[in-house]
Amino acid sequence: MARSKREIPHYYLEHQVDVTACEQWLARTNATRAPDNRLLIGALAIRSVALAARRFPAFNGFCRDGKFEPAAAVHVGVAIAIRGGGLAAPALHHADQLPLDQLMTGMRDLVQRMRSGRIRSSEISDPTITVSSLGERGVEALYGIIYPPQVAIVGFGKVVTRPWVVDGAIGPRSVVTITLSADHRVSDGHAGALFLAEIGKQLQEPDKP
Amino acid sequence: MTDIDVRKVVQEELNNIAPEADLASIDPGADLREALDIDSMDFLNFVTAIHHRLGVDIPELDYPKLVTLDGAIAYLTAKLGANRRS
Repeated sequence: MARSKREIPHYYLEHQVDVTACEQWLARTNATRAPDNRLLIGALAIRSVALAARRFPAFNGFCRDGKFEPAAAVHVGVAIAIRGGGLAAPALHHADQLPLDQLMTGMRDLVQRMRSGRIRSSEISDPTITVSSLGERGVEALYGIIYPPQVAIVGFGKVVTRPWVVDGAIGPRSVVTITLSADHRVSDGHAGALFLAEIGKQLQEPDKP
Repeated sequence: MTDIDVRKVVQEELNNIAPEADLASIDPGADLREALDIDSMDFLNFVTAIHHRLGVDIPELDYPKLVTLDGAIAYLTAKLGANRRS
């Protein structure tokens, strides 16, 4: 972490997204499913980043000796808190290619294996970009520290209810703050803004294949 | 299944999720997510395990009823009673 902050010139952006429709879609989908097959908004978050990373290669890859190598595949590192302290972010391989149900199964499997200490070392070194999601009990925004040699980490704060303007009227909506910490040697704020906007767009369209 | 058995099942499954926690010392009215530091994935795994062991359907809308130890036991006991009557 100290090396990351010393060597990588981080820049930070944030973007607030109305996820009311996304939550409603999740509630409708999960209502008819047994717990084994239910989805979490965290899976939608990973999917949105994976799909956006495929379109914006400057955030998906490695920077070694100051030279950027875009990755051919999208392997999303999923930041998982280890009980008793610590954090690791093993890879969900080809996350951009996985149907949502498979992505959710993969995420559950990663968390379970992480908690029981059965993660392969290759899974720790594989990610091409990382997602850190605070879940329902955290704070509204988190700015991650990039895992070298990766070049970006996307943070999702907890979903909060906020007054929001929709079609000219103010009403309560579910809002999430998405943040980007990226390597300024590889991308800039303009590209970062487009990337974040694409993540927000993908998050709002969970049922789009 | 009695209230005591339901308690045992709930405690065993919570213990699987938070093995380092001392469940006996937890306030039965406290929010389990905070008391045991469990996140939405842990909670889903807890609900999944309970669903398999007790055979009760636990819709997402009922999750708020399960957030305390006492609440979870009362909810599951009532559900089991309803299953038996039907």
